[in-house]
Amino acid sequence: MVKRWMALGMVAAGLGMAQGNISGEITVWSWDIAAKALQATVPSFNKLYPNVKVNVVDLGNQQVYDKGLSGCAAGGTDLPDVYSVENNEAEVFWARFPNCFTDLNTLAPSANAFKGNFPAFKWTELQVGNKTYAMPWDSGPVVMFYRRDLYQKAGVNPDSIETWDDYIAAGKKIVAATGAKVGVIANGTDDEWFRMLANQNGCFYFSNDAKSVTVNKPGCVSALETVKKLIDAGVVMQGGWNEQIQAFKAGKVATAMFGGWYEGTIRSNAPELEGKWGVFRMPAAKKGGVRAANLGGSALALPASSKNKAAAWAFIRHALATTEGQVTMLKEYGLVPSYLPALKDPYVNAASKYWGGQAIWKTILGTLGDVPQARGTQYFQEARQIMIKVQADYVSGRFKSAKEALDSAAKQISSATGLPIAK
Amino acid sequence: MRRNLTPYTFLLPYLLIFGVFWAWPILYSFYLSFLDTRSFPWAWNPGANWGRILQDATFQDALRNTFLILLIQVPLMLALATALAVALNSRLLKFRPFFRFAFFAPVVVGAVAYSAVFRLIFNTDFGALNSGLKVLGLGPVDWLYTPGPAMAVIILVVTWRWTGYNAIIILAGLQSIPKDIYEAAAIDGATPWQQFLRITLPGIRPVLLFCFVLSIIGTLQLFTEPFLITNSGPGTATMTLGTYLYQQGFRSFNFGYASAIAYTVALLAAVFSLIQLRFFGRD
Repeated sequence: MVKRWMALGMVAAGLGMAQGNISGEITVWSWDIAAKALQATVPSFNKLYPNVKVNVVDLGNQQVYDKGLSGCAAGGTDLPDVYSVENNEAEVFWARFPNCFTDLNTLAPSANAFKGNFPAFKWTELQVGNKTYAMPWDSGPVVMFYRRDLYQKAGVNPDSIETWDDYIAAGKKIVAATGAKVGVIANGTDDEWFRMLANQNGCFYFSNDAKSVTVNKPGCVSALETVKKLIDAGVVMQGGWNEQIQAFKAGKVATAMFGGWYEGTIRSNAPELEGKWGVFRMPAAKKGGVRAANLGGSALALPASSKNKAAAWAFIRHALATTEGQVTMLKEYGLVPSYLPALKDPYVNAASKYWGGQAIWKTILGTLGDVPQARGTQYFQEARQIMIKVQADYVSGRFKSAKEALDSAAKQISSATGLPIAK
Repeated sequence: MRRNLTPYTFLLPYLLIFGVFWAWPILYSFYLSFLDTRSFPWAWNPGANWGRILQDATFQDALRNTFLILLIQVPLMLALATALAVALNSRLLKFRPFFRFAFFAPVVVGAVAYSAVFRLIFNTDFGALNSGLKVLGLGPVDWLYTPGPAMAVIILVVTWRWTGYNAIIILAGLQSIPKDIYEAAAIDGATPWQQFLRITLPGIRPVLLFCFVLSIIGTLQLFTEPFLITNSGPGTATMTLGTYLYQQGFRSFNFGYASAIAYTVALLAAVFSLIQLRFFGRD
């Protein structure tokens, strides 16, 4: 009986949505550029739903995560109506607090109706059994962002770079000719280069079924070796997020490797460098190997404690599951859509003035199909902390080989998570 | 019988609150340390936490860092505090109350506020300290992002905050030493240094011991400074037992392991205090 009333209620809610007469106020938590991008979709949302007031709050990445976890721990108090969560960290929430978020399949229209509109790898971390806890948002297909002028000065043609060995050779030429390095590796504060290279080689901290630790598999060993090779060759410098931005603004680096969302970071931080930047695919481990990876990417969830689920769900669907919402965020802030119909939008195939007339989104999104699957699992942060330390120790020479370093990492991750090391 | 119960009836509200908010969490976290709380539902598995703590490299880093701070910072701070207390006690010093307050003031300042100030001072590009070093012709030091300097910053900041506090306690000890002992010693021809070694130090021994025990317990629980100033980093370079406990408990929400760490810290504090009382507490 209760179920039937709920179903009736949902139908009523669905009708309400169709008529656009949902009203009230909703709060959205997000961070940095992602928050600004969500804000940018509000005007077109309000055209359809004029009676909903949307408050986008930019709390910063760590704050959103911390406040979300403590809110869930307190039984769902003080949570917003729409909650941003990184795919890598999403499983922590579903595993620790299975009742904190709304199963989007119980809403009308159900999340299942959108399943085919996103690539499969975006859903893996958002679903538990037949429950769907969040809607996929952006993805982070990795590419190399490079300075055309500096490459030209050194006589390096980016099309000729196919492998990491080619890249190191080119890097030496560029350093000699311009003084600029060809990358900034966060060592001691992050392990993102290792993650991108490992993903490219089809390896990650955990197996895709989230049941074993795979960080000492050959693909990861090769990734860690390449990281050290790059540092030892003197073609990259070391530094965290802020140093990376300062470095490209000051012309001290000629290349940055990141997820596609870094496009917005470069464009909004260095508008004066218009026309000087370009994009090429990341080099492969071996000639003919995979030249794609994914770094980052987020989703939107709907806390179970929300008092205005109809409005919150309408907002999520408008921002993420319409071409209009996704392309707005791409245009304004470079957030890479994972909504497949949005990829057919003319904007994606258009030449970009800032990027020297290159149709960069074609290049960046073109890699999406080649990205090997990787799973963050609920232990992502734990594994990452261990890997940051192991990478720094390996780079400073405290391990004899990358294999030995990763064997140690695997042992630590296994004891931290209780998962066995894969054979 | 009823007369015996009366005081307990009056005490009942307090005992209830004490039981719910103090005793129960302590017992419950002990119980938690035997559960595997890594995923839902929690399960009885003592090895998950206690087995892990024995071989956890990050925990060992945190332990090593905490001991390093203990070995360097506590003796340094207490030596400074003693020297400061003697100076503040001196009749030669003018405006003594002002100086006493000035050195005690850091304790009054909110930890978040002064941590923010120190982050600015030690900022690599815009910090006051590196600007000063530049004037002296010394290269900029990346204070907060290099392991050694980051640890030095933590030790410096903790010392800055607690030296005055300890000095005030030691000062109270100094003032309890009768003046006539010094006068007699002076008549006998004892130098100021001899007076310090033979009269002052033995006189404040109980106070010093008190400061020592409190400082060691404080260091074992050190959290605010490494959390706010260096964020335990770079890597695990300034990770302390306190910040690791927080990370496990409130970042990973692994309450069982955090409880095991908490009980290890409590055990260490008890052992250290016992050793000190044994070896230095005897009169």
